Amino acid sequence: MSAPALGDLVCVACDRPLEVGRVVGSYLGQRFEVDLPRCPGCGFVYVSEELASGKMLKVEQALEDK
Amino acid sequence: MTCSCPGFPDEPTESVCPVCLATIPAVRRAIGDAVHLVKTCPTHGTFSVPVWRGLASRVRWGAGARTFAQPPVCATPVSKGCPHDCGLCPDHRQQSCCVLLEVTSRCDLACPVCFASAGRHGRDASLAEIDRSLDTLLEATGGRVHVQLSGGEPTVRDDLPEIVRRVHARGFEFVQLNTNGIRLARDPAYVEALAAAGLDCVFLQFDGVTDAVHRALRGARLAALKEHAVASCGNAGIGVVLVPTVVPGVNDGEIGAIVDFAVAHLPEVRAVHFQPIAYFGRCPEPSADARITLPEIVERLVAYGAGTIRFDDFRPGSVENPYCSFSGRFRVDASGRLRAERDAPAACCGVSVEPVAKAAKSACCGSSTPSPDVARARRYVAGQWRAAPSPSVDTPAAGLDAFDAILAARSHTLSLSGMAFQDAWTLDLDRVRQCHIHVVAPDTRLVPFCAFNLTAIDGRSLYRDQAAAPAPAPAEA
Repeated sequence: MSAPALGDLVCVACDRPLEVGRVVGSYLGQRFEVDLPRCPGCGFVYVSEELASGKMLKVEQALEDK
Repeated sequence: MTCSCPGFPDEPTESVCPVCLATIPAVRRAIGDAVHLVKTCPTHGTFSVPVWRGLASRVRWGAGARTFAQPPVCATPVSKGCPHDCGLCPDHRQQSCCVLLEVTSRCDLACPVCFASAGRHGRDASLAEIDRSLDTLLEATGGRVHVQLSGGEPTVRDDLPEIVRRVHARGFEFVQLNTNGIRLARDPAYVEALAAAGLDCVFLQFDGVTDAVHRALRGARLAALKEHAVASCGNAGIGVVLVPTVVPGVNDGEIGAIVDFAVAHLPEVRAVHFQPIAYFGRCPEPSADARITLPEIVERLVAYGAGTIRFDDFRPGSVENPYCSFSGRFRVDASGRLRAERDAPAACCGVSVEPVAKAAKSACCGSSTPSPDVARARRYVAGQWRAAPSPSVDTPAAGLDAFDAILAARSHTLSLSGMAFQDAWTLDLDRVRQCHIHVVAPDTRLVPFCAFNLTAIDGRSLYRDQAAAPAPAPAEA
């Protein structure tokens, strides 16, 4: 199943549509600034399953140590 | 004469007698700046052999947290004691991470150095036998292992791509091939077929960059063939790990040149995995000069780096016994210089090692859970040893530049690691019990690698002799 379009994403807590914005994430001490759908009210960030199990997973694996 | 160092008291363990293979008490003892394994067989006398040269690094290597996890399935009971009950038995302290499946005992070389004592005349495991081994392995591990196809020389089989397919079809995610690379160099269509079947990684025997080294260790001039094998794998999109067997006085002088070769062949070469020579098969007691230990290889890498590589850039493995391995990962810049990926913590995924260690004490076979530490080690290996993702797979996406930059850098990341196999003189049963590299025997038992290949001074094997006999036919339903 493909990811929903940005216009279809609504924050359940705030009942506001998500907007793409700069998000700071970190993993194993590395910080990233990426653009992801987020709630303009509470800051909730939406990560699609496709991204989480695709590119984001590859990034995690690239940073992990044995 | 032996004596202990005040700052490094004797550590008791167990080993085997190299003559009769009986389990006997042993100690790890500081002698000068080295740690020796010292043991006495009541019948065959005392043996003392260096296992680690450098007390300072020995202490550092042992300071980290250790993780233990009981195998989910124990196929054999504890009867005669380690290492005579392998199957795995309930005394084993780590789950399988990588499992070797020997698909043939034939080989197209006759190497003076061969842990499997393979030769030109041998037999191939039938596809039915391979299916049975894979089914049992799946049942024992839930498929949560890497599978290394080994031998003999697996590429003597024309049906190797079909075997790769059968491994993947059962859900094993990562398949690597242990090979001398001769056929890969000469038969690009065969390499393409392996890639199409899903082969993830070639574990390429690579003892040096000169024919003098190959002739000494393998009895043939192989330098040009190795180059072609790497190119074929690169063209087919298969990651390559260079695997030198390091022998003092033969190729320890080429350690830097091997790393240079790896750097020059990025991104198809993903790693160099050094293996200090261990003495299997019929051979007289090796002298101390015939051995090189892991920290000595690290020291050679530090010297090679000329200031860019530090000893502290390397760490012990987190799931195997710390004295079995080292690894470090490096970014390679445009000029070919290596820089460590520093400051990454040893534990990750937010998982503490402590709960696993506790679980190992209370769990019994059949009730243990998959080890998150072993899972992490598998992910690290698969992530680093597979071919770097091509741009077509990871197309840059708007706003995700930071992710793309990390993935792009991966193609210029090289892992340098080493693993010390144990022979009848160096075997430390604490290490064997924590081994996570196992061999699936023809009768489908899982046997730690060093126990499977263990031989007495007269060449008698604890497990391989049984494996050489025809496998019993499966019972009729």
